[in-house]
Amino acid sequence: MKSTSSWWKYLLLVWIAFWSAVGIVLPIAGNLADLAYLKQVNAPGEIQVKINIDHSQPAEFDREEGMFVFQGTDGGGRTATFYVPSKPEGFDQAQSLLVEARYDEERHGVRICQVVDVDPGLTLPYIPGLEERARIIFFHVPMAWMTVIAFLVSMWYGIAYLRKHDLEDDMKSANAAGLGLLFCLLATVTGSIWAKFNWGSFWNWDPRETSIFVLLLIYGAFFALRSAIEVEEKRARLSAVYTILAFVTVPFFIFIMPRILPGLHPGSADDTSGGPVMSAGGLNAVMRVILYSLLAGFIVLFAWLMNVRNRVSRLLVRTDFEA
Amino acid sequence: MKTMRAVWAIFLKDVRSEVRTRYAVNALLMFVITTLAVIMFSLAGEVISSSAQAGILWVVMFFAAMSGLSRSFVSEEERGTTFTLQLCAGPLGVYFGKLLFNVVLVILLNIVIVVLYLLTMDQFVINQPGLFWLVIFLGSLGLAASTTIIAAIIAKASSKGTLFPVLSFPILLPLLMAGIDATKLAVEDNVWDAAWPNLQILGAYIVVVVTASYMLFDYVWKD
Repeated sequence: MKSTSSWWKYLLLVWIAFWSAVGIVLPIAGNLADLAYLKQVNAPGEIQVKINIDHSQPAEFDREEGMFVFQGTDGGGRTATFYVPSKPEGFDQAQSLLVEARYDEERHGVRICQVVDVDPGLTLPYIPGLEERARIIFFHVPMAWMTVIAFLVSMWYGIAYLRKHDLEDDMKSANAAGLGLLFCLLATVTGSIWAKFNWGSFWNWDPRETSIFVLLLIYGAFFALRSAIEVEEKRARLSAVYTILAFVTVPFFIFIMPRILPGLHPGSADDTSGGPVMSAGGLNAVMRVILYSLLAGFIVLFAWLMNVRNRVSRLLVRTDFEA
Repeated sequence: MKTMRAVWAIFLKDVRSEVRTRYAVNALLMFVITTLAVIMFSLAGEVISSSAQAGILWVVMFFAAMSGLSRSFVSEEERGTTFTLQLCAGPLGVYFGKLLFNVVLVILLNIVIVVLYLLTMDQFVINQPGLFWLVIFLGSLGLAASTTIIAAIIAKASSKGTLFPVLSFPILLPLLMAGIDATKLAVEDNVWDAAWPNLQILGAYIVVVVTASYMLFDYVWKD
């Protein structure tokens, strides 16, 4: 029995758990531009805003207003006057505040309703229309990427089989496809939940939803084909050909159609923000770090699961052979 | 040159075998008539939008192709003539011969479907005939291109009949989506520019699928 070192497995699990926790725990905080936007669209609700206190300006209790008044900036360098009913605790030492605030029409300033946290540290950006729901992006987007990556790996081993006729490659191709099916289901479920709470229904036939549906169908068809062929070599050859054939048509769904057809996802033809969230630089740095860290974690998790599945398949082949 | 002769010979062989058995004429024509009759019954007196009409037309075309086009390879397997064919011609000759036969078959089939559809559906008026027929032509090419290689795959598997649409549908979906959209635009009297992205997808799809099939057919064909 060969002993394998397992420290990296614990490290991987801690890594994924850590970044998931960071994505869930960090508070969502907007800036002054978000408040201005909400005023512009006539939805003057209270949102969480992170502000930096400007201690060089006078900060004192204004008796006429009945408010504590101070000057501050946000992360983008915009300045504003803030009104709060009483002086926040620890105000004199604090550099920044996380507050619930709204734009005040009468005073042309920002009315703070509640101080949530003093010196909050890192925050996630406020995205109009997404708000707290934005957190699912850390799971949904890596799942969708992993679906395609697993498909790519499956095709890679399919090509390797056609070149070398080694059944080991076929086994790896099938195992990658099995994991891809799992990731595909997770991407569909997380996306569906998100769609329910953001767009109102679980399924809308947006071009990108169509693309994940087609990937599900392709994975299903791949296993249907494999179960319909008895002879191993023939099964390996034909399923490899089908994977390659499917892979050359899939770009139409994943990379072309969601961009030229109107839809709900970012990057659709009628989307003005320009390009999918990933490529347009539309994500703030904190979100990007969490997203890419989780993606890297899931890629390593995929490799690990692949390795386990391959070893199981090898054992099954060997026991078959001995029996 | 030798390959060209093989392509033509295999095409003629399939045409002759078709003329003798009249499979396509009998079975496919009856299939189309039955399908259209079901649609007639279910839509009796209904006013339906042009996008639904375009969709129904493509549903008929898709399932007619699904019921007819797998025969090109399945019949060789059933009659046990695969090995003879492997001896007589190279894989390229076989692939392009079968592709040519399927293209001709599916174009004739789709023309029949469209004509019958026009005769039976009073509401179906084509405002852009040029664009409409171009879309039907490109759609037929795409249908034939992707079903030929999949027919070659499923001919080697068991449960061929059910497997064929299962394997074809995900591969055909870009074609179907672009085709349905372009047909709708042609029916609704749009300018050609509006359908241009769809025509580009159709063209690119055909090129991609034929190229991939050409490279992969060898692995499917030889046992």
